[in-house]
This record gives sequence, structure tokens and C-alpha cells, in this order.
Amino acid sequence: MKRASLVITALVLAAPVSAEEFALEDAVAVCSGCHGEDGIPADAEFPIIWGQEFFYIYTQLKDYAAGRRESEIMTPIASEYSRDQMKDIAQHFADRAWPGIEARAEDGDEKLAERGITGGQCSACHGKWEGDSRIPRLAGQQPGYLRKTMLDFKNEVRMNAPDKISTMKQLSDETIEALSRYLASL
Amino acid sequence: MNFKVLQILYVLPLLLTPGAAVAQEETSASTLYGDLSFVDQDMLSRAAGDGNNFLHTNGNYEQTRYYPSRQINTDNVKNLRPAWIFQTEIVDTMETSPIVVNGVMYVTTAFNHVYALNARTGEQIWHHKHDMGPITTYCCGPNNRGVAVSGGKVFMGTLDAKLVALDAKTGKQVWETQIADPELGYSETMAPSVVNGMVLIGTNGGEYGIRGFVKAFDTETGELKWTFHTIPEDSVGVWATEDATGRNMHRDIEAEKAALEEMGDPYETLGGGVWQNPAVDLETDRIYFVVGNPSPDLDGSLRPGDNLYTDSLVSVDLNTGEYICHFQYVAHDVWDLDAVSPPIITTVKDDAGNDVKGILHGGKTGHVYVNRADDCSMIRFSEAMVPQEGMWTLPTADGARMLPGANGGVEWSPMAIDPNLGLTYAINLHQPMTYTVASTPYPEGKLWLGGSFDVIPEEEQWGNVTAVDYNTGKIRWKVRTEQPMIGGILATAGGLVFTGEGNGLFKAYDSETGGELWRFQAGAGVNAPPSSYTVDGRQFIVVAAGGNAQLNYKRGNNIIAFTLAD
Repeated sequence: MKRASLVITALVLAAPVSAEEFALEDAVAVCSGCHGEDGIPADAEFPIIWGQEFFYIYTQLKDYAAGRRESEIMTPIASEYSRDQMKDIAQHFADRAWPGIEARAEDGDEKLAERGITGGQCSACHGKWEGDSRIPRLAGQQPGYLRKTMLDFKNEVRMNAPDKISTMKQLSDETIEALSRYLASL
Repeated sequence: MNFKVLQILYVLPLLLTPGAAVAQEETSASTLYGDLSFVDQDMLSRAAGDGNNFLHTNGNYEQTRYYPSRQINTDNVKNLRPAWIFQTEIVDTMETSPIVVNGVMYVTTAFNHVYALNARTGEQIWHHKHDMGPITTYCCGPNNRGVAVSGGKVFMGTLDAKLVALDAKTGKQVWETQIADPELGYSETMAPSVVNGMVLIGTNGGEYGIRGFVKAFDTETGELKWTFHTIPEDSVGVWATEDATGRNMHRDIEAEKAALEEMGDPYETLGGGVWQNPAVDLETDRIYFVVGNPSPDLDGSLRPGDNLYTDSLVSVDLNTGEYICHFQYVAHDVWDLDAVSPPIITTVKDDAGNDVKGILHGGKTGHVYVNRADDCSMIRFSEAMVPQEGMWTLPTADGARMLPGANGGVEWSPMAIDPNLGLTYAINLHQPMTYTVASTPYPEGKLWLGGSFDVIPEEEQWGNVTAVDYNTGKIRWKVRTEQPMIGGILATAGGLVFTGEGNGLFKAYDSETGGELWRFQAGAGVNAPPSSYTVDGRQFIVVAAGGNAQLNYKRGNNIIAFTLAD
């Protein structure tokens, strides 16, 4: 299983890192195993982090480390870094150019997505889907990751942005599928 | 050329006069009208009668948004045409109120760009882009509502919770000061107000568990002069069971008292943002502002008590920031039907028919509230401008429907008045929603709604423009619009009111009857408050067309100035 091997890799690579030992390139190498040497992730459910917002990445690393966002892969990795090291990692990836991926919306996706966006008032925070600071970029993100994230909120698996849970519970799985493809295609 | 101006033909003959051409070449940091960019207190104080400039976000200290020129009027408004269109660098939500000082216009965009323009031609004089910090936390959209002007400076609040002062002639930064910590949810979207050497500004953050405030800074140095916390350390209040209109809010007072006993006063994270301008009364040296929702918006279980002074009109001393009086429209709000639209000072009739100084506020509830200026007590409230159903149905875990939806009624959109007609003009939303509660602890700077308010997609949405007689509370006229309304409105002595819509239409109505007299399709949502000014004897109406993030109206980047065709 690819995922199982990644977990083992993460556990092996994520030995405690002191301030003296920390080397950004080593940390980046760990990240790139899943998130891609060229910014294209290794798995459809892994997010693009090249070009993602600095403060969003940093906040997620903090939340993984503190257990507020649970992941068998990310928690052991993030918990080994200090906040300053997390900032360095976040800045490294925020400074990379967002990679283009092939993603297409299907017929009817846009209409269904717009309906969901109106219902959830998503644009109030996500604006034009390009991200800003605390708000992650969604446009051009991996559709599998978007789908998994929205479903994780809906099913109360992801708990570190609790207000998303109520919003996602209002959306049908069909709408979430359409939203994922639509946002990925932007 | 680093600016983009679409110059409309019938203004060109004015530009092509030799004098105008020479003046354009000789002055790079001003306009044909010289460098009279200095704004003194006397100008600011007399703005209500100033038929040339537009010096305050809402027109004048009383915030009437009533422009005294009648050159553009009910007879000739049909001849209104675009004079120029300026396109900013940022194509995104626009809520700026253009400020005009002696022929120079100042506008802002999303993400805190500021432009100084020649108000007659639309030509760019300077462009300032704020050096935004890496941490911003804001809802709902990267908005900015404009600048304040005083002396030779232009003042702006920023998304990273700073106040900056710029040189009015060059756009270069003179000073900046950090108002609050953006990581904890503080941000600035409102235009500041300037009075007597002080810059007044509140804060956003009611969706993030901030503790709200209004602060005063020295115009010359940026030094803090006073702070008024909108949430007192004793925020409990009187355990009100009814709202200002007398409707029961179904509070479980006993449960709240038990929670208070257990958790203490929740004042440190209780919200109470102030993100619209205060009205300033220079006769009494008092200011009046409205305070926004408590945090978390929908979950009252974590914040027992009336949650003072959320959802309230508050008056404080202009010179010290000391509390004078307040009136709470909705106690212990769990619907985000708070107080946002900026208050207006004007003479109103009290219940005995006497003229008294009054404060008008357009509520998200759909009522216009009329209060006394002296003690903040309520005189009357208007008929509902939008449908109300099931008030006050408590939010549930599965979502409970109640009207109005959480955006109002009247959102932040400033009202205008015509004091001669005794009318106030409000733009409204009708947006049916369900209110869902889900209790979660304070998330340290993340969005903290305590649930969600969700638009019901199957139900029709619309808006309206409503004129309310503030001396009786009766609706004089109401015009329905295709979409929920957000942005603001302007009244003029020409018998007109101007307001825009999310579908790009910008319209003029007869202020007495509500008859539509003119419309223009701007190509993007017109969701910003219009301004008016006069240059070279010619009156202009100006408005931003940049759409709206919150309601997802089509984005754009246009500042459009209109004047009468020759």
C-alpha cells in the first residue's frame, strides 16, 4: 500500500529536530515525498502546497502538531518542528509557484457548485478562491483533496475549523463532488 | 502611462482649452484646481453645506449622506452620462466611498490600495499600495471603505489591523501604527473618521472572538489618545427578555445565570466590533456609533447575559472616550441580526411632537430605529422593511428557518436622509436562511460562528429600496430590486436618491415618490456608497463598481463619475 509506506516513511524521517540540527532542505525533502518534488502531489487526496498561503500552511502545521487536525501522516511530522521551523517550512512552500494540474468540471457542475456556494456563503471568506493569509487557495487545488476535505468536515473527521462542519452538513454529497471539480478547474 | 482612464467625449472640450492643458503639464501632484488638498477642521465641520466637496465617508459629521447641490435634479437626471471611468489595479469587491477635496478624489480598493485622482478627468495623480503583513484575519471579503482626510494627510485602516497616514499630495506614507493583533482576528475595513486632531477607528472581528473597541489616534503622530472598549468587564446587563420592538427572544435566563456562575463574564472574547463610522456631534462633543454582534455569533451558551454593548447604539465623549449612554436593540443576539449601518444625527419629532435631536439607525432586523441623542432612549421604530417570520426562533442543531436572514434587513449599507422630506432611505436584503448552532470553544483567531447561517437555495431572494418617514415610522415608498441590496445610498437636494445593485445597475429614484428616473449598467456589481461633488461648476455623481465578496456579486474595478450631458 502506497499510503502505508508513506506513513512508515514519515515516521522514520520525523525524528526529533533540534534547532541546531534543523535544515530546511531536509524538512522540504520530507514534505516533497508526498506533496511532490515539482509541486504535484503523489496522491490525488494530497493537497498542493506549492504557492499555498504562508499563514495557512503554518496554522495547519501547528494544528497537526497539537492534534487539532488529526492525520496519521502529518501529526508525527509536524510535531517534531518548533514554531519558527514551521514558519520556515511554510514560507518555503508559499514562495513556490502554484503548479497547474489537469482538472475539468463536468456538465452541470458549475450550476450545482454555485448553488452550494450561495447556500454556504462561501465567497464571504474564500472570495475569488485565490487565498489570502489565513484563507487557503482553493482554485486549482486537487479535486480529490477538496472532496475529501469537505467530506471530512461534513462527517466531523476534520475538526480544526469547526464552523465548516455546520456549513458542509448543509451540502449534499453530490454538491460537494461538483464543488470539488469546479474549484479544481478554476 | 500607469493609469487607465476612459475619457468620455463630452468632457474633452473642457480639457482641450489652453489653460487646462498648461495646468495639467505644470502640476504633477495636484489638479487644474491647484494643490488645495489641505483640509482644515472648519471645512470638515461645515461639510453638510459644502456643495463642492465630499469630505466624509457619509458626507458630513451627522452622516446624512445628503448632498446639497441641486444641479442634477429630477428634471434633468435623464441626461446623466458617464464623464470618466477609472480602472484600478485590483479587480475585487469594492465598498469605497469616494472622498473629494478641491478637485482631488481619493478612493480605495480591496487589499488596501489608495488612488488619488483628478476628480474632473479621472486621471491618476498617485497610487499607494499598502505593504500588507503576512497575517490577516477578516470576514467578509478583503474590503476597504475608503479614507479620511485632514490637514495634508489621508488616513486608511488596513486588513492587517494598522492605521496609516499618507501625504495627500504624494501618497507617501507619513506614519503607521498597529491598532490590534491580526492573528487574534482584528482587522480594519472601515474608513476612519477625523475630528479635532484625532483619527477615530473601530475594528472588525466579531466573527473571531475579539474584544471590540473604538480608538482615537493623534493625526500628527499616530499616538493613541483614548480607547473605548465596546465590551465592558461587566457585560451582563439587565437580563432583557424582549428586543427593542417588544418581541420575546426566548432566552433561558436561569440557564444563563447558571452558566455565568460557572464560567464568569465572557467579556474578553465577546466580539462587539465597530466597523462603520461614528456620527459626530460637535455641539455636545459626543460621538454615536453602533456595535456589532457578540462572539460566537450563533452560540449563546458560551456568553451568558445581555452581552453589552453588542447590538447597541453607544454614545461616548469625543475628547475622552468615556461612556455616556447606550441602547441595546437586541440583547444576547444569537442570529447575527446586529447593528452595523452607521447612525445618522438629525432633528426628529418625539412622541409629543416636539423637535429633538435624534439618532437614526437601519437595523438588520429590517426596522429603522429612532432614538434620542441626549440619553440614547428609543422614540420609535419603523414598520418592517422586509418580511419577518418566526422572530425570534432560536437556532437549532438541525437549522431553524427565520426571517430576516443573518445579512438583514439593512446590512452595513449606510442610509441617507432628506431632512426637508423627513425621510430616510435604506437598502435592504430579503435572503431566507436557516440558523444552525454548534457549540465549539474559542478557537484562538479562527472563524468562530458557533454554527452557521445558510441561505435556503430553494427560496427566492430579492432586495428593496425603502423610504421611511422617521417622524412617524411609516414606510413612504418601497421599490423592489432583483437581488438583495448591499452598498449604500446617496440623497441630493435635486430630489434624487442614487443606489446600485449586484447586477450592475446604478439607478436614480425620485426621493419623494420612489419613481425610477435613470439607470446605468456598470458591468459589475455596484455595491458601494455613491458620493457627489462639484468641479468647475459641474456636479458629478461618482460610485465604485467592483461587486461584492459576501454576496458573490460580479467583481470589477471601475470608479465611474457621471455628469450631465452638455
